[in-house]
Amino acid sequence: MNLSDMLNSIQQSHHSNTIMDLVSLNEKTKERNLVLTPDDAKSLVVSRNKVLRDHARIELSNGVLKELIEVFSVSPYMNQEYYVDTLNELQEIFYYLKNETEDKVEDAKLIQLMNDYYNGSCAGSIELLRSKMEEFAENFRRDITLPDSIFKGDE
Amino acid sequence: MEFDNNSGHSRQISNIRIDRSRLKRNQYTLSLLQEGQRSGVISSQKVYQIQVEMVQVLQRLILRYTQEASTSVTTETAEGIMTSLLYAIDTYTLQYKNPDEALTHLNKESIKDIHSKGVELLRCYFEETKQLYQEVKNIKLDVPVDAYHMTIDESLPVFIKHYDIIFEAQNTMASIDYPLAVDDMRLQGVFYIRQYLERLRIETEFCRFFSLQDVMFVLINFGKISRFNYQIELFNMFELMINNAVFSLLSGGKPDNVRISGIQFEQLNRMLTAAPADQRTKLIHQALDQLQKTLQTNQALIDYIDLYRGEFVQRVNNAAKIGSFETLIIREIKEHEKTMVFKLDENDRKSDIQMRSLVDRILEISNSEEKALFIRRHFVSLHDYLDLLHAGCLFNGDYEALFRTFGDIELAILAKIIFYEKLRDATHDLSDIIEDGIEAENEWEIHYIEFMQQLEDERIKAIGNLIYEINYEDISFH
Repeated sequence: MNLSDMLNSIQQSHHSNTIMDLVSLNEKTKERNLVLTPDDAKSLVVSRNKVLRDHARIELSNGVLKELIEVFSVSPYMNQEYYVDTLNELQEIFYYLKNETEDKVEDAKLIQLMNDYYNGSCAGSIELLRSKMEEFAENFRRDITLPDSIFKGDE
Repeated sequence: MEFDNNSGHSRQISNIRIDRSRLKRNQYTLSLLQEGQRSGVISSQKVYQIQVEMVQVLQRLILRYTQEASTSVTTETAEGIMTSLLYAIDTYTLQYKNPDEALTHLNKESIKDIHSKGVELLRCYFEETKQLYQEVKNIKLDVPVDAYHMTIDESLPVFIKHYDIIFEAQNTMASIDYPLAVDDMRLQGVFYIRQYLERLRIETEFCRFFSLQDVMFVLINFGKISRFNYQIELFNMFELMINNAVFSLLSGGKPDNVRISGIQFEQLNRMLTAAPADQRTKLIHQALDQLQKTLQTNQALIDYIDLYRGEFVQRVNNAAKIGSFETLIIREIKEHEKTMVFKLDENDRKSDIQMRSLVDRILEISNSEEKALFIRRHFVSLHDYLDLLHAGCLFNGDYEALFRTFGDIELAILAKIIFYEKLRDATHDLSDIIEDGIEAENEWEIHYIEFMQQLEDERIKAIGNLIYEINYEDISFH
């Protein structure tokens, strides 16, 4: 059984629902002049599926994408011109972080952390955010391996 | 015959259409859906709907798995959960002996409900399995067979402690070492462990028909015949006992008299080798029938013995073909007196401090012969000799000088240690092994083989004969 193939074929058939679901978020974001066209939403879903495949992950809902839109759409650094590109970059950073933190950090916390950096020290720079998040992942991995390594001297 | 002319709209399920040979034991429901679709019993739309429902259940399970903290998981985790989900669904569909009936339920019930019912069934099987485990534990044989005890005392509790019905139902969890006489390794999860325990209980009950002394007689002589330490090897006790019970019957004895004498062995060997194959097969079947009657066995044991029949007949026929029942009929092997120069008692070992000081003194001696003499003066225990050989204080000619001071018994013991695996195979004798050499792991082993290769054939032969007088358990120093 190839689960990814089975899921892909089922997800394809629910594609239009997913697109509508994302477009409906415009109701909340349009007051900040951020709007997704159906084509934008489609491209976001296509990118999401690619990122998931690249990171060997499975997601059966739009939960993360919706949360990214809701949280980041209120950022002062988000603008319509780079809206879709930024969301795509954020998706990629998010799933990278999920793997690097070995699923030990909740979705909401990771998104919040990304948002704090993005609006704070990164001042809306995706490149800086990526670098900060890589640093975070490195520290996180070091911390979770620390309890084993500090007793190495006893061996 | 065209039988669906006027019933196309009703999709009447008929057992004429399902080809059972296309159904698989693992991932049964998926193969059933595939076969149902191929044979037109279930529509492709329905199969698609079932798959969608499976994914919906998977979605709920993923959220439950992550405790709603994450909507995504790694592909590996998702596949594991999906396999577990399918395992529970299979548990439900497999309870219907008729696949058509299972398809009817798949057609009319929601996958969510089927999955829940499957999980409930798994819970019941798991409870039954725990109960079975207690029963096996209570009747466990008091024999020194490591794999048997490890499996019961350590491996099976791992399964009972960690079995996860929801997220890893297909996982057998424990590594089961002790082999059954008849095992179905295609099964997974609780189905495998339940069947393993059912069969282990039957086998153990069978072994309990005999006195512990008789079981030990068979085990000890089996070890001697096979030239290995039966305590640490993987073999099945039920097979040994039932084989000898049948051989006892075939030689005119009682089924519970498993102590086969040398005379009985010769008689059986002659009889079974001379008999034509069909006659031999008939004799074995008759003896097995008689065994089933005489031992007042229960139905489960009768069925299990029937499962073993084919394998046993084949083994006897193979043994007859090669003209040797040596390893199949366990007879009493008399031991000769042994004289050992090495002391094998743990208590004779030197302390670490003593050992370190002696190694330092050895390192100060440059002449190989002097080193060998010093070692022989100060070392008596085999364990210490082995520590010494691993200590890195001997170089090149030192090894030969030391080995030259050893008698045949000491050289035989070292050969038994180095060539243990090869020597188990009765077709290899020491001369061949020495000539061929092996890929030795340690430096001292390489020097030992080189030393042995210089010896005369007669001496190697004499050392080879001594090897089979050594019980490996006597030198179990690892």
